[in-house]
Amino acid sequence: MKRYFSITKLTLFMAALLLFPACHDLLDEPAENRTFTGETDYTITDNMDLPLLGMYADFYNSEWEVFPLISVRGDDVNAGGLGDQQDFAETDKYNYNKDYWMSNSVWQNYYGDLFNAHSAMEQIAKYQEFAANKGLADQYIAEVKVMRAWYLYYLTLTWGDIIITNGPDPSQLLVAKLSTQEEVMKHISAQMDEAIPLLPAVHPAERADIRGGITKFTALAMKARANLTLKNYAAVAEATGQIISSGKFVLATDFYNLFKIPGKLNKENLLELQYSDFGKGSGDAINYLNDFFGPQGWTPKVTGAGGGWGFYEPSLKYIKFMLDRNETIRLETSVLFTNRGIAEIKKDAKYATLPAWISNTTRSGDRINDYARALFASGKHYLPSDQLIPGRTGYGSNKNFICIRYAEILLMHAEALTNGANSSAMTADAAVNLVRSRAGLPPINGVTNAQVMDEKFAELAMEWGIRFYDMVRLGNYAALSYDGRTFTPDKIFLPYPQNQVDQIPALKEAVNK
Amino acid sequence: MKRLFFLVMLTGVFSLLSAQPRITVTGKVTESDGQGIPGVSILVKGTLVGTITDLDGNYTIETEPQSTLVFSFVGFSTVEMPVANQAVINVRLREQAFDVEEVVVVGYGTQKVKDLTSSITTVKSEELARTPTGQAMQALQGKVAGLQVVSTGSPGNSPTIRVRGIGSYPGQNNEAPLYVVDGMFFGNIDFLNPADIASISVLKDASAAAIYGVRAANGVVLIETKSGGYNKKTEISYDGYYGLQVAQNVLKMANAEQFTTMAMESGSAADASFILNAMQRYGRSRVNPNVPDINTDWYKEILRPADIQNHSINVEGGNQSASYSIGTNYFAQEGILDMKNEYERFNLRTKLDFKATEWFTIGGNMILSNAIKYGEEAGAWNEAYFAVPILPVNDPALEGIAEPVNYANAQDLGYRSGQNPFPTLRYSDNRLKIRKLMANFYAKFQLIPDKLDFKTTYNHAFTSLDERNVRLPYFIGNSFQRVDASINKSSGIFSDQIWDNILTYTDRFDLHNVTAMAGTSFRDEAYSGLRAGGLNFPYQREESWYIDQSQEKPEGSVGDGGSRQYGLSYFGRLSYNYNDRYLLYATMRADGSSKYQQKWGYFPTVGLGWVISEESFLKGHRIINFLKLRASWGQLGNDKIQASDGAITTTPVNVAIDDVMVSGTQTTNTFSSLKWELTEETNAGLTGRLFDNHMSVDADFFIRDTKNAAIYVKIPGIGGSVLKNVGVIRNSGFEMALNWDDEFANGLRFNAGVNFSFLKNKVRDLYGQPYIDGGSAEFRQRTYVGHPLLAFYGYEVLGVYQNQAEINADPSAPANAVPGDFKYRDQQKEGEPGYGVINDDDRVILGSYFPSFLYGGNLGLSWKNFDLTASLVGQMGNKILNRKRGEIIWTPDGNLDADLAVNRWHGEGTSNKYPSSAGLRKGWNQKMSDYFVEDGAFFRLQNVQLAYNIKGLQLFGAGMPDARVSLTADRPLTLFSYNGFNPEVASGIDTQTYPIPAVYTVGLSIKF
Repeated sequence: MKRYFSITKLTLFMAALLLFPACHDLLDEPAENRTFTGETDYTITDNMDLPLLGMYADFYNSEWEVFPLISVRGDDVNAGGLGDQQDFAETDKYNYNKDYWMSNSVWQNYYGDLFNAHSAMEQIAKYQEFAANKGLADQYIAEVKVMRAWYLYYLTLTWGDIIITNGPDPSQLLVAKLSTQEEVMKHISAQMDEAIPLLPAVHPAERADIRGGITKFTALAMKARANLTLKNYAAVAEATGQIISSGKFVLATDFYNLFKIPGKLNKENLLELQYSDFGKGSGDAINYLNDFFGPQGWTPKVTGAGGGWGFYEPSLKYIKFMLDRNETIRLETSVLFTNRGIAEIKKDAKYATLPAWISNTTRSGDRINDYARALFASGKHYLPSDQLIPGRTGYGSNKNFICIRYAEILLMHAEALTNGANSSAMTADAAVNLVRSRAGLPPINGVTNAQVMDEKFAELAMEWGIRFYDMVRLGNYAALSYDGRTFTPDKIFLPYPQNQVDQIPALKEAVNK
Repeated sequence: MKRLFFLVMLTGVFSLLSAQPRITVTGKVTESDGQGIPGVSILVKGTLVGTITDLDGNYTIETEPQSTLVFSFVGFSTVEMPVANQAVINVRLREQAFDVEEVVVVGYGTQKVKDLTSSITTVKSEELARTPTGQAMQALQGKVAGLQVVSTGSPGNSPTIRVRGIGSYPGQNNEAPLYVVDGMFFGNIDFLNPADIASISVLKDASAAAIYGVRAANGVVLIETKSGGYNKKTEISYDGYYGLQVAQNVLKMANAEQFTTMAMESGSAADASFILNAMQRYGRSRVNPNVPDINTDWYKEILRPADIQNHSINVEGGNQSASYSIGTNYFAQEGILDMKNEYERFNLRTKLDFKATEWFTIGGNMILSNAIKYGEEAGAWNEAYFAVPILPVNDPALEGIAEPVNYANAQDLGYRSGQNPFPTLRYSDNRLKIRKLMANFYAKFQLIPDKLDFKTTYNHAFTSLDERNVRLPYFIGNSFQRVDASINKSSGIFSDQIWDNILTYTDRFDLHNVTAMAGTSFRDEAYSGLRAGGLNFPYQREESWYIDQSQEKPEGSVGDGGSRQYGLSYFGRLSYNYNDRYLLYATMRADGSSKYQQKWGYFPTVGLGWVISEESFLKGHRIINFLKLRASWGQLGNDKIQASDGAITTTPVNVAIDDVMVSGTQTTNTFSSLKWELTEETNAGLTGRLFDNHMSVDADFFIRDTKNAAIYVKIPGIGGSVLKNVGVIRNSGFEMALNWDDEFANGLRFNAGVNFSFLKNKVRDLYGQPYIDGGSAEFRQRTYVGHPLLAFYGYEVLGVYQNQAEINADPSAPANAVPGDFKYRDQQKEGEPGYGVINDDDRVILGSYFPSFLYGGNLGLSWKNFDLTASLVGQMGNKILNRKRGEIIWTPDGNLDADLAVNRWHGEGTSNKYPSSAGLRKGWNQKMSDYFVEDGAFFRLQNVQLAYNIKGLQLFGAGMPDARVSLTADRPLTLFSYNGFNPEVASGIDTQTYPIPAVYTVGLSIKF
């Protein structure tokens, strides 16, 4: 019996001994379902555009709360959504709350995108090492620089002193110092100077590889915007002049449809956020959450088309301003009326009778019913139900979101010239009159700076807060003190979100000063 | 002369001896239910004369009339009876409760209770059978000191388990203990039928659990399923119950009148207009013309009583070389949410052990579990909570417009969303098929008989999860519709293998008793999953619910996943006692895991014990029958944290370029590079049996430090967080369990027990950081050194401003304060910087979600054939964040709980607790404060059971099998002050909007 034991014991131990060394190696197996960046093959130059496209995905996939927070404070637009999002309504009235979730979210979105931008640039640089066409890599990096400039531009306009990022690691925020708005704008301008020579000098729709992507003219536009805030009018005139002289951009003849499906990748657009239903009535879709802007109650021409939340209401001041100018196409495109809203306008004796074309049914056949949350809805963010791909019901489905267009370039040019800059590209009058004739208005001779600003108000209302930041820059606080609001210089910037103050020492220091 | 004296003495002795006639004593030895016990030993005290009882428990013995008879039998208390010249002596033996000779299951082996130096609590199957539940751990609630069981009402879902508090970061289910079922590791035991479990041992402290090394940081639950027995008569038994679940403690929501008042006082013209819209649409109430004629109690509409049942048949027995236990079980539970919501499970189980030869035992064990679960749509609970009471379920005006059913739409009244939960309930189908096969084979060799044996075990657990989620289309309004029928399927396969080899040596020489064990374990865990989806299939019939039948297959819905992890361990144990008096226990485990950058971990433990009751000064003590002091120390690792990335990773993303879907890549910059969490625990305790084994005492004091605690650290600036090993967390406490078991002369048996534990959680080190933020930005939780992990952090509410004068008198009131707003405490005193204004420096720690005191109790009475048991459970010291009340920050559209609606401030002196309706919408009153943080203490009557045992019944001349009929009420009563459904909130942040049901059942148990 004992012999059996020994043999059995021996066999088992031998088997165990043989098996376990093999098992040890298994402990070093890496995790599954991951692509470790360390294993990316940077010699495959064809893949060099992947980080760039990833950055476009980031740039286009903007959370719904970013645009409203940036744009709502002007006298062109009110918060809307009465009863909903009280703090948003208070922000519109210049009563800021540092604990407001929207404020924190916008900061986080844009700083997150900034770090992603640095990361994308690093990845492209790694491909560049092995690429035959190093110029293409430089171009891609320049495109990301422009997107980065966009984020910094709006961060500093909203919060004033911010941190300029210098790499992809978020922990830099723990040791970084704040830069003033002036420093940030100068930085943006310098960055654009680096990017401009490397970018293709074509209209975005002419780009074969990434149609609708960033071009030299997008960079020039960002340079112009940055310098406008710095009141460096010579630089503004020079940059806008280059865009005008290129002849690549033309104002769209159909203003109404510029902001709708026919306007996608239009000759007027320098930069837009691209979305799509991919031509299908169901299935994959990448869309902006336009519900925010939609009227809460409507009877659409195409039954089943969804409405929205009722936010972002054009202000009475804007509408009356446009009526005073006898505007037609621009007022119709910018504002959707409700019967309740029309009645509200008529309460003012000066506007007791309104032009016949003003009604709560749009020219596309959608009827806007009365709803409690607002009196008007934004027309530039409206998509007629008959432009939806059948099967899709989301408000604004398939619609792009315009960021920069030629009309703004022309008016910036005119503004710079009326502030003393010189340009051989186009005169101030010519620029303003191009915009006015498209709007069906008579030309002006010897345009003044005030008239240019009025023209900007009429043309660019509800677009990216341009009006608000213009008034702030000019110190025109009276304009912003409308409809019961009082604007004072201490209200220019939002307070840093408390959540960020808790985490970032530089902000904490600034708040405690 | 001497010889004569001697003779006389001898005669005298003889005559004395013969003068006492020996008598014959007969009698019957029975146990408490009157049954005779065969094989009981009866000894005449002081002699070697003895006998044993026969099959019926009868005995006959000859003895002196003044002697004493000693009756003894294994598992029963020994009884001594003076003969006192009686001819018939019947004795009733009492089953020994709290037997220290009892053997309990410990890691990779067994130990006697008296030899334990660690903190282990064992619950037997009769205790488990009392709770009607499909989830075995639910039956432990309140029975084990230091074990917190957080129930869930949803059928098929397992409760959350915490042993001795939290070591690591909650929320990813990484605080769950390790479950070992017949040697196989599991993360959850939802497939086990509680009636198949013979015993559950909870290894609470490090020295008990360390033998399981890297997975044991949160405690280990050892489960042994029922086996047969060698030389055991075949036993066939049926166990079953049927019952009803009824929702309990349904939170009272505001009714139409209260809601209308809130809307009118809100200061929002829009909300007031919605009320008018409702009145226009549905009419005015006859009782109050300012209120719409609709008063929907949404919870009443979506709740239903649901049934639950369980049937098991088990056959077990054995002969001298084989032992078997085979069973089958069917369990079905409907959910109380009124939709297709149920869980059905069918199990087959077989456990076989064969003594192939004297030195070779082989066995196999298989559990096959086939379950199907129709999961509830949790969103519906949320919708029912926030749905306004002025909305009906069906809207007659939508007849013909809304398809297929005219459910009402809150958007018609002006609200932002549809709110009606019925579309979610009726047009969602979540089916999950869970198939598990657990197989286990072992071979045991007696290398040296009774001394050295070797056991090799192979375990394989195979789980297949097959999920199908279907969403059906409907139309109620333009913005309240679902256009496409969608189907999403995912299938996952888990294949886990463990191969253990264990060598055990037991010996005794002189007074030394030694058991040594050495072993290895190899683990291979693989997962692979595949998912895909489709749109627009013919949804009218379930036969067509396939992706194959779909017109559209979105690219974004296709994906797969996989993981493979390996582990290799070496472990050993030494258990030594000297004369059953001085105990020494030590284990060591080396664990290798492929999951982290740090591959190997070493986990030692050591324990000491001293059985004081064996010492001369205590032996034979009148009161103390057994007293052992024990202490232990051990180290464990925790690999429940998700595997760290270890390096930056790149993920693909999609973007629309010119109406074409194009893909790119994004590279993350923050990644986790994790080491193991290391837990070190010191435990000191005592185990005692007192008052003739009527009372058992178990007390433990422990300190458990988790080092390199993996905590989510916020990434600055961008939101989101990443896991880092950044701290040391200490959980310390005191646990005690007292039990009393007694039997009175009239046959009444009585047992009672109470267990409680005090727990304290404190962060000891954050490796240089002053604090770490957690939770969300709006509901801040902050971890400070010296305070509990993730304590709630916000403002203290002093009350509500009642009038303008009060506002004027308060320097810290903000400029736009009005009566009805909260008054917060300004933490600074006059003269200090920051006085006079409420800012972020006025935030303080508001409490922890961690209970500081847990208690449980049970009581059992049994008399004749009746028995009654009751148990209770409770906890105190924890706070709950009422997150539902915080939803108003994002949307004020929804309903509120009735307490808030009735007790809002609406005039001077009306309330000092809640702000005004308008105030609720103001940012000032939405700050994180103790308005949101409520007391979570509760008391619950956990279980009451009344049963009747039918024995020895004769029907039509034939003997009927023994049976037991029982009535049980589970969770019939819960008392708490928290404004929510259930105060058991595992993470402390209550978003739960569903009630926990009480279960009433009738049960029957038959033994053939």
